[in-house]
Amino acid sequence: MFTDIKTIFWEVIRATLPIIITVFILNLFMAGIPPGQLLQFSIGSVCVVVGMTLFLLGVKIGLLPMGEAIGSNLPGLRILPYIFGIVFLIGFAVTIAEPDVVVLSSQVGTVSQGNIPSSVLLAVIGTGIGFFMCVAILRIILGFPLTYLMAGSYALVLILSFFVPPDFVAVAFDAGGVTTGPLTVPVILSLGIGFSSVLARKSVISDGFGLIGLASVGPIIGVMLMGIITG
Amino acid sequence: MYLNLLINTTLDVIKVLLPLVFLFLLAQWLFIKLPRDYVANVLKGLAISFVGIVIFLYGVNLGFLPMGKDLGESLATIEHRWLLIPFGFAMGFLAAFSEPAVRVLSNQVEESSVGYIREKLVLYTISVGVAFFVALGMTRIVYGIPLLYIIIPGYALALILMWFCDSSFVAIAFDSGGVATGPMAVTFLMAMAVGIATGMEGRDPVIDGFGLVALIALAPIISLMFIGLFYRSRDKVISDEVKDNAAGDS
Repeated sequence: MFTDIKTIFWEVIRATLPIIITVFILNLFMAGIPPGQLLQFSIGSVCVVVGMTLFLLGVKIGLLPMGEAIGSNLPGLRILPYIFGIVFLIGFAVTIAEPDVVVLSSQVGTVSQGNIPSSVLLAVIGTGIGFFMCVAILRIILGFPLTYLMAGSYALVLILSFFVPPDFVAVAFDAGGVTTGPLTVPVILSLGIGFSSVLARKSVISDGFGLIGLASVGPIIGVMLMGIITG
Repeated sequence: MYLNLLINTTLDVIKVLLPLVFLFLLAQWLFIKLPRDYVANVLKGLAISFVGIVIFLYGVNLGFLPMGKDLGESLATIEHRWLLIPFGFAMGFLAAFSEPAVRVLSNQVEESSVGYIREKLVLYTISVGVAFFVALGMTRIVYGIPLLYIIIPGYALALILMWFCDSSFVAIAFDSGGVATGPMAVTFLMAMAVGIATGMEGRDPVIDGFGLVALIALAPIISLMFIGLFYRSRDKVISDEVKDNAAGDS
């Protein structure tokens, strides 16, 4: 476990330090940022590094094995409505717990001054992932080509984008980008691989791949529909 | 203020993590039935993750978001606004190049292509791709160009390119969309873009400020498809040569 902590810690440092240093350099050249805020940023940076390290450690110890256990046992349920129900719930629960998704939805809530409420946005993003994970699992069961499904979903996104109020366009596409994080990716992948290997078709790899790309269309469509309905 | 923020963050994290805990316990009870020490490990992992997310979000709310926003707002007032475009290029490159997930993906591509496609090539292609798209995102904010004018041609390009790549490469490319949208890009660059849009006259923070993450997600898809295209055409040249040789032999 301690070697794990060390590896993860250095990884986090490597990912965060360039940005932290950039901020300090920018502060040298830009006027108007009070020194108190630089101190606050320094405390925040330490929290970000420590928090990220613990989060990734927890994912490795607990959440990854959990995803694998559920993923490999799920096809054994055999009754499709149950399977889809649980896949949907997993997609939803994992996505709303993803830190990036939480940050985006709270930012959108604040910046839009409550016009796009953050908890509703969070729920819509989670629902989008859950629904599209079911679509992705259905694809694996039916053996439908990924390329067609992907082209179809993105074509739908492009068509919808003409009807969405401008406030929601950028938020919708951003929502698609944040949903793939350190928590969702391993869980979605282990579900897909679990399914493909139980169905034992020719290509476990190409079945397992593509799940994440497909799943991340879900929130885009979800937020766009939210915009069309509420806007 | 510090304590209030901590309490609010903790409550938020409890709210978002509870469904996952319930779901696991339900699945355990219904069908997975894991041994007891396995369950203990999962719960331990959940507890560590919980503490981690609380501390992380606390740091983000305390330091990264306000700093990103304030830096953005003061960057919005610089005299030569076009300078934001090369600045965006540099920030995009930095964010992608230092993102661990991008390295993991580059390594996977090298391995799955049996060393044929070099890891470094993938890493640099994605980083330059992200840099280019963040620069585009800055251009968009500076000149008030709607996001759709960039994102629709972008996805259209991806949809066209995918018919010319191997299907396994298409799957990898679309999966890789999220690799560069790590916590750094999302928390810091997003807050900064929102700050720039807030500080610049005639820009709406919601319409113009968001959208950068979407562009950072699109960049690796297109970058990888270009690599796929390049290697495929090279493959074709090689196999054509082989065919020619074979024809010459017979």
